This record gives sequence, C-alpha cells and structure tokens, in this order.
Amino acid sequence: MKNRLRVLRAEYNWTQAELAERLGVSRQTVNAAETGKYEPSLGLAFKIARLFGQRIEEIFHPDEQELSKPDPR
Amino acid sequence: MKRLRSIRLREWASILPFVAFGLFYFAARAVLEAANLDTRLKVVVALLPIPVFAWLLVSIMSGIRSMDELHRRVHLEALAVAFPLTLLLLMTLGLLELAIELSPDDWSYRHIWPMVWAFYFGGLALAWRRYE
Repeated sequence: MKNRLRVLRAEYNWTQAELAERLGVSRQTVNAAETGKYEPSLGLAFKIARLFGQRIEEIFHPDEQELSKPDPR
Repeated sequence: MKRLRSIRLREWASILPFVAFGLFYFAARAVLEAANLDTRLKVVVALLPIPVFAWLLVSIMSGIRSMDELHRRVHLEALAVAFPLTLLLLMTLGLLELAIELSPDDWSYRHIWPMVWAFYFGGLALAWRRYE
C-alpha cells in the first residue's frame, strides 16, 4: 500500500509529532505509515482522510503489483 | 506543559507495580532462602507476591489499552516471539530432565524466569526493527 501522507503533511507544514497529536497516535505510527512499513487501520485511515479533507482512496492506494497477485486462498 | 507533566507522572506511576512486584518477589525469595520457617508459613510467603502480580497484570492491561494501534501490534508480535520460545524452553528442560540430571541450583524455575523477560524484550526489539 502506498500513500501521500508525507506530501500532505508537508503541504500543511506539520511535523510528524504535530500530525500524530492531531490523530491521537504516536509519532512512530505516523513515521511507519509514511514510510509504508505500517498500514493503518480503517479507522485511522478515515481519521487521516477527514483531517486532510480528502477521500481515503485519494490518500491511500494499493500497489499495482499487489493487486495483480492471485489470492493465496 | 501541564499535560506533559501529567503524562510523565502517569509513566512513572506505571512503573510502580513492576517495582512492587520485584520487591515482593525478591523479599519472599530472601525470606525462603534464609529463614527457617514452618512449611505452611513458607507456602504463604511463596504465594505472597501473587496479589501484587494481579495489580501488575491490571496495570499492563490498561497500559496496552491506552496504546495506539502500532504499539499494540508491536507488543503482539513480541508476545508471538516470546510465548513459543518460553514453551520451547520449558518443554526442552522437561525433556532434558528425563535425559540427564539438571542441577536445581542452575535450572530451577527461579533461575529460568529471567529468560522469559529476555525473550519478550528480544521480541520487542525485533518487532520495532520492522517498523522503524
């Protein structure tokens, strides 16, 4: 999953700590989400979308490679 | 500033149950190793740290509930490492006990519990490496 979190944060001129405080999570969570190491829950994704006034799919979008992989089940 | 101070205070307060349990455990151990007590009294002393552990457990549970989703996941992954390793340790020691004579001075329960903490903190370190 890729996201535009870092770009949006830069547009708002917020530090990771400021964004984390607004979202009610830790700075590590924001950092891990920005770098794509952690995929936030749906609840947190909605919070992020609401904070930036955008739809979830405008911020988060899956890797094309990931989508083309067959379902392991 | 006030908020930061209250967070710091909460962090320090969360250490208290750990300290209390440690104190009770080591005090009970010292008493059992040194004093010549009646067997029933020994059992009472040995069980004395349990209520303090209940306090510790409640504190850990409330600590986990107050964490954000990434921190919870990291702790879950640490447990996923520590629990099977603990199981492996106990089962291996059980088998070894059947194969050879293990000295209770080195391999009794009171000597192996620090390994469980080591597994957990090792698991935490591994999990954090994934997300940092």
